[in-house]
Amino acid sequence: MRKTFLISLLLLSVLPSFAQKRVMVSGTVTDSEGLPLEGVTIVVKNDKTVYALTASGGAYSIEAPEDAVLVFQLLGYLSCEVALESRKDYGRTDVVMEEDLMNLEAVVVTGTRTPRLLKDSPILTRVITSADIKRVDALDVGDLLEAELPGIEFSYAMDQQVTLNMQGFGGNSVLFLVDGERIAGETLDNIDYSRLNLDNVERVEIIKGAASSLYGSNAVGGVVNIITSGATEPWSVNVNARYGAHNERRYGGSAGFVAGKFNSMTNVQYTAVDSYKMKNEGDYNAFYGGFNYSVKERLQYEPVEGLKFTARAGYFFRERDMQADTKDRYRDFSGGLKGEWDINDENRVELSYSYDQYDKSDYLLFNDSDVRDYSNVQHVLRGIYTYSFFPGGHTLIVGGDYMRDYLMSYQFEGNGHYIQHTADVFTQIECNLDDRWHLTGGLRFDYFSQKKLSHFSPKLSLMYRIGGWSFRGSYSGGFRAPTLKEMYMSFDMAGIFMIYGNPDLAPESSENLSLSAEYSWKYLNVSLSGFYNWVDNRITTVWNDALGGMQYMNMSPLQVRGLDFSVSTRLPFGLGARLSYTYTDEAIRAGEPLLSQTRPHSATLKVEYGKSWKNYGFNIALSGRVLSAVTTDVYTSATDYEDTETVTYPGYTIWKLVFSQDIWRGIDLNVIVDNLFNYVPDYYYSSSPATTGITAAVGLSVDIEKFFKKY
Amino acid sequence: MNKTILFLVMGAAVMSLPSCNGMFGWIYDHPSATVDFGFINMDKATGKGTVYIDATSYTKWTYIDFQSATIDTTVLAADGSEEGEVLSWDLAIHRYDTKTNGGTVMETGFDGLDALAASGKLPDGEWVPDTWTDSTVMVDVSGMMDGNIVYAPSFYNAELSKWLDVDTSTMPPIYTLSGKVYILKTSDGRMAAIRLSNYMNESKVKGFMTLDYIYPLQLK
Repeated sequence: MRKTFLISLLLLSVLPSFAQKRVMVSGTVTDSEGLPLEGVTIVVKNDKTVYALTASGGAYSIEAPEDAVLVFQLLGYLSCEVALESRKDYGRTDVVMEEDLMNLEAVVVTGTRTPRLLKDSPILTRVITSADIKRVDALDVGDLLEAELPGIEFSYAMDQQVTLNMQGFGGNSVLFLVDGERIAGETLDNIDYSRLNLDNVERVEIIKGAASSLYGSNAVGGVVNIITSGATEPWSVNVNARYGAHNERRYGGSAGFVAGKFNSMTNVQYTAVDSYKMKNEGDYNAFYGGFNYSVKERLQYEPVEGLKFTARAGYFFRERDMQADTKDRYRDFSGGLKGEWDINDENRVELSYSYDQYDKSDYLLFNDSDVRDYSNVQHVLRGIYTYSFFPGGHTLIVGGDYMRDYLMSYQFEGNGHYIQHTADVFTQIECNLDDRWHLTGGLRFDYFSQKKLSHFSPKLSLMYRIGGWSFRGSYSGGFRAPTLKEMYMSFDMAGIFMIYGNPDLAPESSENLSLSAEYSWKYLNVSLSGFYNWVDNRITTVWNDALGGMQYMNMSPLQVRGLDFSVSTRLPFGLGARLSYTYTDEAIRAGEPLLSQTRPHSATLKVEYGKSWKNYGFNIALSGRVLSAVTTDVYTSATDYEDTETVTYPGYTIWKLVFSQDIWRGIDLNVIVDNLFNYVPDYYYSSSPATTGITAAVGLSVDIEKFFKKY
Repeated sequence: MNKTILFLVMGAAVMSLPSCNGMFGWIYDHPSATVDFGFINMDKATGKGTVYIDATSYTKWTYIDFQSATIDTTVLAADGSEEGEVLSWDLAIHRYDTKTNGGTVMETGFDGLDALAASGKLPDGEWVPDTWTDSTVMVDVSGMMDGNIVYAPSFYNAELSKWLDVDTSTMPPIYTLSGKVYILKTSDGRMAAIRLSNYMNESKVKGFMTLDYIYPLQLK
């Protein structure tokens, strides 16, 4: 086998006609420490037909035109280009590749729905990699986003349900996707974030600002897209466990294989935590524990090159211990089929079907019965066609979705149900005007059957690049269609008052303007962006005297504006740091039913240092969140919007220390100290973290296949 | 061509969509459609039985008569007046509130009726009579959002009403059953052992009260 690697020359075809002189180029590729790199792809720039791979000693050999530019690429390393003309002795070309410490060559898809290198993305995108996830020891997506991004706050709504505020936008105004697919079900306007565990996540992409021109409803304030990973090894088995305070335990495992045309990855995870009391009085005085588990399978089949089918299925179960005699249960059944066909260099087609069913039920201990009172079932069909222009590098996308949305709920009269059909078409063109200017324009039309509602969402963005600098400006439209719940609710709130839906609601809409400057270098990234949102018709519940209850209504326009600043560095000797700061000003007129509670200033910080040797590596990461206080008016009465009192929700900082060790052949041991400086709220506001002070946890992960790997 | 066929196969697979309105409905339980109220279980030999009532309404008292094993209801007004005729009764329930017909109640340390019966003797404890209150029995909560709750003046037995604690300091409130056995002694000296075993129906609607009892309780 090894012999075949000595020179793995893969010449697919050679361009015939040109009478250019062709030369044989060979050499070795090493990393900056002189170690040979295997599996580096070598291509001739602007010619996709010739390529070669480096063998185990880093050696390669390729036949190319004498004026060719060779491009060396390997995941995790910065690509490098070598112009043969510039070399006197091009017959022997050795190359040193540097590690891509800043993830500049990470591929992102969310901003344009086509794969783009992060450094080339016309939309400012924040990527959190699987390495970042490991380094901050995040348990779920909420944990991760709070650790990595300022301006994101998960707090408690009524009934200790988790609710998001992302720079003034709530859970239903930020679109969460998994591999580009929507997530069914909601509680108090938020999806079940605990469904989004991080056990097979490759990366998380976040774009801020409206993105309805590509994603439709809910992409008012931003999009969070979780990209899952498939198997990369012939076989792999991982088992992991984590134990922490309040008897918090997590056990997980995964098994994957790559065999011929098949690629499979199976993940299971179980998480549980006990209920515990808070240390002081507050809006809540106990944390309700519970457990959840999930099973996921993703199978890919690639019958011929360029044609790929993906099938996936998943089951999620969560139980929460809120009352002594009742347990809240949440289940999700999901599945999907996707076909991707790269017909040729220009044409690509993608067709997919996605199914997601989110159920809520009450498990009553007195008669051992499990009664469902909520079910949201979404079927989505999607087709996307992509045309890439050669030469020029322009890209055109045309696509459309159909969704059937079924909702049965205890919040409807007689536990009834409603069905809505949604259809949309969208298009987007990306143009490279020249080497420096890049223009993206898009338009989407959405239609909702219940009220025959339709909406256009435009987008126009411009990028100018020079050296390591990228300047971006964009205008984009966002909207959120009223949900079936908001249109048809008829819910008796504990016999106290009713909450009514409103079929005549207008969609929420936003106009987003953003300007940003970014500087990227191989060891440094700095970005500054300013944003402005005009949000109209935000939907909320308003007391209605005539009805004697609450009713969903549209609010008057409001504005959300602010600044984001981020600087991060990662140096070859293992030191890394990131500081991100955001300022948000949510301006809502007095007298509106909902007043701002968004903290104006927040920041996240992380400093880490790591080093690795042949059989041992470590990384120590200190990360912190700094949130300013917010002083705001709250209404003294729930039924009119005149008298207010001023309330200040205190600011706080919370720090976490994660010491990760790669002990030997895929055995990872994490020791975590959370809330390092022992922050305990004097009063637990619903926006205070559910912490009782400093806690510790330990995690162990074993990649079994690495025991058998020859080094 | 081959690719085209394969791609179409996927389209065909999509046609086999799972049920439009969801799958796995069978894993759940379904609440009984018909429900009996009143004395739903009675064992004359042991005197044990179960009473199940709908006390969801704020404007209703449900009267329980152990002697005849019957229930009656009245409609309660804000001034405390009631509409409806009740011939004979021992215990009345409004939501989670209780009152007796001139009787007294003792909370025992027992968590089960059988354990009390097996003990063979009446436990020691304080017999608590009803008290008059105008700030306990809620009759109109529609103004609760503004802090305006209308209470009906009424007799109220604080001891028996300990059977369910409703902690309203959080929203939604936390309900905790005491699980204790209470002994009701009527004005004419008869006794019943009572334990509230549930306060909701099979659909988790609160205010449906299930009382297990032993009547007559013949302990000395």
